[in-house]
Amino acid sequence: MAGFISLMATSTKSSAIKRFLIGKPIPTSEDAHQRLSKKVALPVFASDAISSTAYATEEILIVFLSLGAVGMAAYSMLVPISLIVIALLTIVVISYRQTIFAYPNGGGSYIVSKENLGEYPGLVAGASLLIDYVLTVCVSVAGGVAAIISAFNGLAPHRVQICIGFVLLMMVANLRGLKESGALFAPPTYLYVLSLIALIVVGLYRVFVQHLPPIEHSGEAQHLLEMQGSVTAFYFLKAFSSGAVALTGVEAVSNGVPAFKKPESRNASTTLIWMAVILGSCFFGLSILAQHLQPVKDHEGKIPNTVLAQLAEQVYGGRNIFFYVTQFATFAILILAANTSYADFPRLSSLIAKDNYLPRQFSNRGDRLVFSNGVIFLSFASIGLLVAFKGQISALIPLYAVGVFTGFTLSQAGMVVHHYKHREAKWKVHMAINAVGSVTTFFVAGIFVVVKFTDGAWIPAILIPIMMIGFKGINRHYTRVRSFLLPSDDYVAPFHTHFVIVLVGSVNQGTMQAVRYAQSLRPDRLIAISVIEHAEDRQKIDEAWIKYNLSDVELQTITSEYRDLTEPILIRINELDAEYDDDLITVIIPEFVTSVRSQWLHNQSALAIKARLLFRPNTVVTSVPIVIP
Amino acid sequence: MGLKNMMKAANKGIRELDAERLVDKFIDLNLTPLGEVVVRTKVKVCGEVKRMTMKPRSGIPSMEIVINDGTGQVTVIFSGRRHIAGIEHGGCIAVEGVAYQERNNTVFLNPVYTLLPHGAE
Repeated sequence: MAGFISLMATSTKSSAIKRFLIGKPIPTSEDAHQRLSKKVALPVFASDAISSTAYATEEILIVFLSLGAVGMAAYSMLVPISLIVIALLTIVVISYRQTIFAYPNGGGSYIVSKENLGEYPGLVAGASLLIDYVLTVCVSVAGGVAAIISAFNGLAPHRVQICIGFVLLMMVANLRGLKESGALFAPPTYLYVLSLIALIVVGLYRVFVQHLPPIEHSGEAQHLLEMQGSVTAFYFLKAFSSGAVALTGVEAVSNGVPAFKKPESRNASTTLIWMAVILGSCFFGLSILAQHLQPVKDHEGKIPNTVLAQLAEQVYGGRNIFFYVTQFATFAILILAANTSYADFPRLSSLIAKDNYLPRQFSNRGDRLVFSNGVIFLSFASIGLLVAFKGQISALIPLYAVGVFTGFTLSQAGMVVHHYKHREAKWKVHMAINAVGSVTTFFVAGIFVVVKFTDGAWIPAILIPIMMIGFKGINRHYTRVRSFLLPSDDYVAPFHTHFVIVLVGSVNQGTMQAVRYAQSLRPDRLIAISVIEHAEDRQKIDEAWIKYNLSDVELQTITSEYRDLTEPILIRINELDAEYDDDLITVIIPEFVTSVRSQWLHNQSALAIKARLLFRPNTVVTSVPIVIP
Repeated sequence: MGLKNMMKAANKGIRELDAERLVDKFIDLNLTPLGEVVVRTKVKVCGEVKRMTMKPRSGIPSMEIVINDGTGQVTVIFSGRRHIAGIEHGGCIAVEGVAYQERNNTVFLNPVYTLLPHGAE
């Protein structure tokens, strides 16, 4: 990934392309943190959580109608399930309020569980959150595109391409450094909340006062409604776990406490509660509306319109301006929700990289002060998943939320330990609250894994341990390198006998410059080596050596019976190396530097020798560049 | 079996291939193999010239070559002259004298030499 960026910067021409796409570099000193008021912070941090109302109801219905085949019975289950989800939301929000007060500097699941529970739980939380951020991008983009497709059904065949387009767009926007600016986040989030409230109020009014009939279905949808299966506990739990995706993104506020205006914790906690109220009431309202209007959706995407679109169409009496506004607002908030991952994933990966569990490149900031490598990695991982799952949300949902609830569980468990250690006022009450939160979310995560194991929940269940092994491996390597390089108190760099070898192809200006350079190093021994193919070449090169006054340097000619250049040189270097125990060998290679166009005509053998010497201990390879204009 | 040997041959490094070629070339001369030279005793050996060194102009003029017969290699130094006509890369010579050890190298200083223009014939 880093290679991609550095590749772009290799020549001035491609650097101009990068400049055009990414924008001009920002100096580090301008990295001021913008403080957000509650009204602005709400859209910034809540867009992820609130946006999940766009698909949570739909996912519950899909489980009952399409997988469980229970027909009309599905609608009677909507309200009970949404009540359970709201109860869960309440527990989680109350628990997270305490995290906000305990960690005013931002307490993500990774930090809280690493600090309180230790290394491994922290890494589990880190891994599951990283997976979830990727899935947030996938699910939200897929959901946003689904909203567009509901409005313009003709776009359905291009679903995956549109998704990829938006991911790439977000990648470029975030490489440019899209701040979590209120100006960008506020309008779509508030528009979505307003249009959702309007839909619910108008919808309930029309249902209960004007007696609006349920949506009329035909074809596949009608077929699904005629099913007569019974609601089993398995499908009930499965539907519940689908509905619980509404909770994803709740942790965002607690990650971003330092971004609030003072008093940070109080403002953050108020914002969290606003968010929970909006999220809970909208989810509940949509469930009641769906219960009466009976929208239908299947898991393979044969019915193109989303549940939200079907509701809007029925409530507003067709595809009018209100319908399109609702669809557009849905699309906009989902894209924003995806974008929050672009803030969280690079930040978390940089934290993990700073702790030496991920490659250092993840903690490098790019030209625009963003963690570019994290952004690029997130984009490509999301695109991979979107392609693999053909841009269908339902296919991605089982993978999703396992990580979120693992994160919840660990973070709350960490808080329990935190309270136990610090024993501040009323610590027993606080500990009990977090304990309830932790146990509840643990059970929910367990339910997810069990009921959705075959649908894809096995993927995170396997991926998280694999990532842990990866984290540990990377950490071991970094630790080993660091402890190896750490000088002891009496360490003195060892003395070496310096042996310099100049490789000579033919005698020319380049060779002469290289020899002069070699002499300036004042080595203990200096020789030039030339590999010759025919006996006559020896005489030619010896004569040229004398002619150009190089003869105060020893010139060794060696034969290459098999015309191979690299092997005889390496053998010779090995022989010379064996003569002394403490020697350091510098191999000097004259290299011609021409233009990008003709560079490949030169230095191919030099490249081969350099590649072979790269891993040789006590060997320095130096190129003496000879610039040919 | 045959295939296995062929695979073995294909995997041989250039060094081994060259060593085999040289052993075949010199086997009929019945001289001491270079790998079995004992220092401080008079031996007669032969080999193909593998490396020639042009020493700096300053200092005593000398000619230094390395010969190899497939079993090992030795350094041969002829002092007092910069070049001996007929000794070239790829050419073969036989030398007779007493060797000594210098660092990792076995060295013959001013031995009696015979040019072998066509290898072993």
